[in-house]
Amino acid sequence: MTLKDIRKRIDAIDDRILQLLQARMEQVLMASRHKKEVEDAQREQEIFDRIRAGVTSLVEAEFGEKIFELIIGESKRLQNEGRRLMAFQGEHGAYGEEASRAWDSEMVPFPCATFEEVFERVQAGLCDMGIVPVENTWGGSVDRVNRLLIHTDLCVAGAAALCIRHCLLALPDTDHREIRSVYSHPQALSQCRRFLARNHLDPVAYPDTAGAGRMLSETRPKRSAVIASRLCADIYGLEIIKENIQDMEKNITRFLVLSRKPAQEGDKCSIVFATEHKAGTLFNVLQVFAGKAINLTRIESIPNEPGDYAFFLDFEGSDRDPSVEKALAQVQKMTTRFRLMGCYTERRIP
Amino acid sequence: MNALRLASLNENHLARTIVSVGDVRFGQDFVVIAGPCSVESEEQTLKTAREVKAAGAHMLRGGAFKPRTSPYDFQGLGLQGLKILEKARQATGLPIVTEVTDPRDVSWVSEYADVLQIGTRNMQNFSLLKEVGKADRPVLLKRGMYSTLNEWLNCAEYILAAGNPDVILCERGIRTFETYTRNTLDLSIVPCVKETSHLPVIVDPSHGTGRLSIIEPMSLAAMAAGADGIMVEVHCRPAEAVCDRDQAMPPKMFGGLMKKLNLLRSSMGGFNHEFMH
Repeated sequence: MTLKDIRKRIDAIDDRILQLLQARMEQVLMASRHKKEVEDAQREQEIFDRIRAGVTSLVEAEFGEKIFELIIGESKRLQNEGRRLMAFQGEHGAYGEEASRAWDSEMVPFPCATFEEVFERVQAGLCDMGIVPVENTWGGSVDRVNRLLIHTDLCVAGAAALCIRHCLLALPDTDHREIRSVYSHPQALSQCRRFLARNHLDPVAYPDTAGAGRMLSETRPKRSAVIASRLCADIYGLEIIKENIQDMEKNITRFLVLSRKPAQEGDKCSIVFATEHKAGTLFNVLQVFAGKAINLTRIESIPNEPGDYAFFLDFEGSDRDPSVEKALAQVQKMTTRFRLMGCYTERRIP
Repeated sequence: MNALRLASLNENHLARTIVSVGDVRFGQDFVVIAGPCSVESEEQTLKTAREVKAAGAHMLRGGAFKPRTSPYDFQGLGLQGLKILEKARQATGLPIVTEVTDPRDVSWVSEYADVLQIGTRNMQNFSLLKEVGKADRPVLLKRGMYSTLNEWLNCAEYILAAGNPDVILCERGIRTFETYTRNTLDLSIVPCVKETSHLPVIVDPSHGTGRLSIIEPMSLAAMAAGADGIMVEVHCRPAEAVCDRDQAMPPKMFGGLMKKLNLLRSSMGGFNHEFMH
């Protein structure tokens, strides 16, 4: 092992230390939602006791205490700032985090294991907002999210159309010619199928794109790369071998921003409704919009219970427009279940 | 020339091959490819690319993988160089031609470049020729510095036989006893190619002469001889060029060359290089 190799390991450890600090600060902000005062002398004492008990031969008690004084000081500063949290599904570096950052760079993206967790955290007030994908140009609708949207009380407070740019990422100093296996979410792999075939690379399915990036940086498998976002390269210290490797030029995922409070204003609306199981009931609803020249931008039907479908409809216009108001009042009478999920603005994120 | 089933001009193949690269048509237009010998940095490559574009070049050249005489010479930036070339294309819209030296790199270089170049030293690297023959990018095949026309066209045949119909030949000078010039630019090969093959042929007067002062007259002579284009090395700061400094043309001089080429072309009018048989 040469000095260069050792330094590479040190760099990788430093990256992990930063990632762990990030994860700790996230939990700290989450903790502040569960307590009234930032200061908690008893808890601090507990932490220092643990540190002193856990010191190792090279990390002496005095040094450990110094570090944790700094960490706790910074934790309290962040808690006092009252940073707002945006829940997203996946690990750091996921496209959901990219959407969160693009939607509001001031908010702290907060990783959640599942879409359910995103909804629950926003519902419980543990996160201020959540951001979830509803559809992708090539992958179609995101079933699990749409199912959760049927029954949630949360409002749609915004939407973001994010251009998905898949990148091939590898560990620094990887010889691109040696790469054989490429790990990623099956959807990302299928969106880059032709690229992989052209370069004789084997796709290997992994639960999510960012998770594949983290796995690569931590377990360092040989002759391997991942397909993930550019953000993922920054977070896990990976090298971008090639950007924009998806087979199709335009690959857009539409995200909805969830909140307990509706947006102040907007030019787009989302509704969800169910109709009676009779001929023409859906047609009649659509006719109301057609009659008022309201442009529909999305229509989706999701099976709810056997024989019962939830219909999602997005359209252009504000709920304050008289024609929209009238249309919604009419539709409400024609449906067995109806909810205006939100009136909001939609942003394109290039 | 019997073995040249696909490369030769004969009763079965009378139509001249036109190779399209973006808006550029080799075999139809007079194509000027310009740019640095090597990609040295993003700044140097983008600056040079913008200057040759402004002067009227149609394509950008630049080496990321450099086959050098000495193993201690600069070997090129590799993948990093390819990324810089991609940026230069985004900035200028100029299609990119760059050399590929290793069969394992062919698919990767194809991801970044519009045309794959086979250098003079690799002209008879048959495994590399077979690999670029499978690529979905046109190939610029330089003439080996010790090669006859027949050997050169046989190398083109390798690429055609592997399934890639888009081959552009490039004369870049051959070794003779003359030492004043780096190589002897064999312009007579241009009509020889035209007589025997349907493939487009361009001329590289930079390597062909290795002398800055001779590049311009040889470029004009190449056009007069019926070449389908030229490839010229241009560097935004020739004195700082990492390789082939003596033949690197400053952008201003290249601008002057472009003007003379346009003048010559207009004075040639509808001049037809097709031969009487």
